[in-house]
Amino acid sequence: MSSHSNWSRRGFLKTASAATLSALAAGFPRIASANEIEKIKATADTVIVLWMGGGMAHTETFDPKRYTAFEKGMAPDAFLSTFPSIPTAVDGIRFSEGLEKMAAVMDRGTLIRSYTAGDLGFILHSRHQYHWHTGYAPPQTVAAPHLGAVMSRTLGPLNPAVPAFINIGQRFDNGEAEELKAFTTAGFLGSEYGPFNIPFPDQAADTVRPPGDMTPGRFEDRNKFYKKLLAASPVGEHGSDYQKESLLRSLDNAHRLLSSPAAKAFDLALEPLESIRKYVPGYQPGQKFDAKRDRMGAKYEDEMVGRFGLGCLLARRLAEVGARYIEVTTEYIPFLNWDTHENGHSRLVAMKKQIDAPIAQLVLDLEARGLLNRTLIVLASEFSRDAMIEGKPDKLIKNQVEVPDKVEDPKHYGMHRHFTDAGCVLLYGGGVKKGHLHGLTADERPCKTIKDRVVIEDLHASIYRAVGISPKLAYEIEKRPFYTTRDGEGKPVMELFA
Amino acid sequence: MPTAEQLSQLPPPADHPVNFTKEIKPILEARCVNCHGHGRAKGDFRIDSRETFLKGGGTGAAIVEAKSAESYLIELVMGFDPDNVMPKKGTKLTHEQIGLLRAWIDQGAKWDAGISFARAEPLNLKPRRPALPASRAKDANAIDRLLAPYFAANKTKPAKPVDDRVFARRVYLDVVGLVPPPDALEKFLADKSRDKRVRLVRQLLADNENYALHWMSFWNDMLRNDYKGTGYIDGGRKQITQWLYSSLETNKPYDRFVAELVSPAPASEGFAKGIVWRGVVNASQMPHMQAAQNISQVFMGVNLKCASCHDSFINDWTLADAYGLAGVYADGPLEMVLCDKPTGKTAAPKFIYHQLGELETSTNKAVRLEHLAQLITKREDGRLPRTLVNRLWQKFFGRGLVEPVDDMEKPAWNADVLDWLAEDFADHGYDVKHLIETMLASHAYQMPAVPATEQTATAFVFRGPQVRRLSAEQFRDAVGALSGRWYEKPAGQIIRADGTTNHFTATRAALVPADTLQIALGRPNREQVVTVRSPTATTLQALELTNGSELAALLARGAETAVASRTGVANQSLVVGVYQKALGRKPTAKELQTARTLVGQPAQKAGVEDLLWALTMLPEFQLIY
Repeated sequence: MSSHSNWSRRGFLKTASAATLSALAAGFPRIASANEIEKIKATADTVIVLWMGGGMAHTETFDPKRYTAFEKGMAPDAFLSTFPSIPTAVDGIRFSEGLEKMAAVMDRGTLIRSYTAGDLGFILHSRHQYHWHTGYAPPQTVAAPHLGAVMSRTLGPLNPAVPAFINIGQRFDNGEAEELKAFTTAGFLGSEYGPFNIPFPDQAADTVRPPGDMTPGRFEDRNKFYKKLLAASPVGEHGSDYQKESLLRSLDNAHRLLSSPAAKAFDLALEPLESIRKYVPGYQPGQKFDAKRDRMGAKYEDEMVGRFGLGCLLARRLAEVGARYIEVTTEYIPFLNWDTHENGHSRLVAMKKQIDAPIAQLVLDLEARGLLNRTLIVLASEFSRDAMIEGKPDKLIKNQVEVPDKVEDPKHYGMHRHFTDAGCVLLYGGGVKKGHLHGLTADERPCKTIKDRVVIEDLHASIYRAVGISPKLAYEIEKRPFYTTRDGEGKPVMELFA
Repeated sequence: MPTAEQLSQLPPPADHPVNFTKEIKPILEARCVNCHGHGRAKGDFRIDSRETFLKGGGTGAAIVEAKSAESYLIELVMGFDPDNVMPKKGTKLTHEQIGLLRAWIDQGAKWDAGISFARAEPLNLKPRRPALPASRAKDANAIDRLLAPYFAANKTKPAKPVDDRVFARRVYLDVVGLVPPPDALEKFLADKSRDKRVRLVRQLLADNENYALHWMSFWNDMLRNDYKGTGYIDGGRKQITQWLYSSLETNKPYDRFVAELVSPAPASEGFAKGIVWRGVVNASQMPHMQAAQNISQVFMGVNLKCASCHDSFINDWTLADAYGLAGVYADGPLEMVLCDKPTGKTAAPKFIYHQLGELETSTNKAVRLEHLAQLITKREDGRLPRTLVNRLWQKFFGRGLVEPVDDMEKPAWNADVLDWLAEDFADHGYDVKHLIETMLASHAYQMPAVPATEQTATAFVFRGPQVRRLSAEQFRDAVGALSGRWYEKPAGQIIRADGTTNHFTATRAALVPADTLQIALGRPNREQVVTVRSPTATTLQALELTNGSELAALLARGAETAVASRTGVANQSLVVGVYQKALGRKPTAKELQTARTLVGQPAQKAGVEDLLWALTMLPEFQLIY
């Protein structure tokens, strides 16, 4: 057995690049028209997307407007925000109450208040999420790749022992799971570049541990035994073949990942308790976040406070060992978390508790470790919400939530319709300005974008620019170019960069 | 009319006798035919031939004979009217080129015979029946007779057939998707009759249940059918599982199979209905356009995707072609939309190949669909059988006769084999099993497997079938056979030909929605038509195989059963049994020794589990060789 028995002695990087070569030989999509692409100097090596799935209302979070407290019998359009506003570390930027820790680190980041979602008609969250994550509205004639997959394919892993595209916190068993799967994929780029899914951050260690109750010793022995059988197998005589090689190499890569020091990054049990509590205040070791998904209860969000926090902590640990693209989601489940069709106010109290401490801590920890400069954090949501307007003021679409004539019950107090004419995106690190505000929205309903509109193509172009990818980069599929931003037309928002 | 001043700017005509082929044709080819040739007629102007060229377009004659200065063509290429310059895209013609055009017009616009810019006669459309070369062996397989001159021309001698064991594993996996059961394999090996290979193929083809459960995956990928997926949430998608299973179980003739998908009854309408997401959908992805794209791709090997938005840059298909076919499926007149902008023009319903006859332009959609189905499945359509022949060839040999398999306007590396098989298939009433038998009984199929090379290689020479990977379903079913653990129960209710419901020998992978293991191994989400799955293994797949909970649980339970059923028996018999189930052979002495040490005496569950895992990771298990 000549070729593969000595792979284990090869260097890590060498193996990874060989794997990439074999992927290319197998007809994976290539870059189209490479000569027209401008070279961009990267300002970030790693991207962390913090996904507020379900539609995060801008007026209740990072773009507060006039606050009106609940009063029985109030008019349904009487309120723009259901929380008072609070100051942040930056003069002239105020947040909504409940985001105090994030407010304190606003001087590290850039806030976009003018993100405008696509016009996709009658709202289906997962369809807008598909649009946000691929830059294309479904359906598409070819399988569009996720942002993370494009980075994985274009840039490769930062550390070959860590999967390039890690997706934390989303389960795929709820009402729109199939739609979520349709974009949580490398699509036509090929599954080599697809997501490494970690639905439960507290169980992340299991994803890189030997299966079941197998001890590390047995795991090693099993692998040695496999190598012996392999050496003895008559099919080995068939000689070099890229399929066999890709098979063996992929197994070697997997085995290496599972036994590499980087695998420790997945194990949150190795994090000191005080440190975990900075992300999840009051965390108890072994604490589970497995509330029943009963949409009628308003308590789901309260019981899940902490799950997203662990995801952020995991993201920090993975960024430290060289992950390329990490996404952490508050998790999209129809009618839960940010998807408030009722009880918008009370549920957002919990949602803010879910995100405030861990995001602020993530920023501070990366800064303290000297990693924030080269790590771009992006907080985003598929669209915003409003109490009255579904869609855009000049492009109203079919309402999904009935609004009563008078608000008698607190459950009707909140942002229950889907608003697409404004939205907040927060950026930290990775070369963006510190303490900067981009875009403006109206102070009266409709609280729509009135200045410096940012659409998905331009937001993607900006994120890609940070990691050195051109918005005009295209991969060839079925002989046509498929661009990283639609038709290659995304333009980075240069004002965002320092 | 140009002004006198503009006329004074005209470059002088070239001062030599102009050669059309050498001097004019290159200009037309480079700058004009993209919009006015190859079946395209922007501004109603076609330059297919001299006649259509002289006739001009919607704004009148292109030239005034022998008077280039007065010719509209020259006015346009000069760009006298800045809003109407030809060519519309790219740089203007050079003065030298305009001088050549002027001279050509002035000299009588001669057009060399045989030169046409019309859309070329499509390849692989007309039926063709090549003569079978004579053969010394009376019963020689037609494929081998047709390939004999090919091998001679390439100065290669076809290698000897693989041994019985390798052959049996291949045909089991290729016909029913399962690894051969040890007892059946031994019986086959012991059989001394000369025709045992073809009899094995026939015997497997006659296993209607397992044949259907294997080919379900192939068709589900192409017809975008699954138990779960996008669209179902809103009723924007419909399963055809029952129809598909029954069609395969009864070996429905392929022409009928296609007709029932093109002009469907409720049971098979899911394919043509497509996938409808909630909300506003781009015109190029409306359900009727999905039908046009998918029908032309799957059955005719034609890519209409680009042309559903604009005239294609990669082939000759136009927006009007795509809308013509989409119009057959639309409920009313269909307005063409060019890159998201309505054009105000309505496309008349038509099929992409007028060569097969004109489509009845009935206002009744059902009538149109029925006629469309007739056009596609008529005997004169040689593309339909060729496309399937090629897909099956690709499946069995790892590479199509035509590559890529979705571009059937490309020439085959051996047209005789493609054309003969297609005719023979149609002659036999579009009997897919007959076609499969012909392929698998050939010597060509039985040659030793060769390493798979890059699919796009142009200098391809056939030397035998390529090494292939087990599909996700084949892998899971092979593990099912090895561990005795199949899926719990089918996801839906499938009525079998004998009237029973869900009465299957085993709940195989195709009977359930994709789980994590199947997804990792490449079962697609079927959001798009998939005709070929990726041939390479990936790290994420390997991770799932190395520590995924699904495979681990299967192997653990398999090991439990193996240990429990062999208490008191020497571990040797257990190891040998496992090898036979997994690899279809006994272990070598060295393998046996290594495995026995691992398994322990008496056999331990953990050891057996690790043995099962290691065996399933071997290329010998995961590849079809």
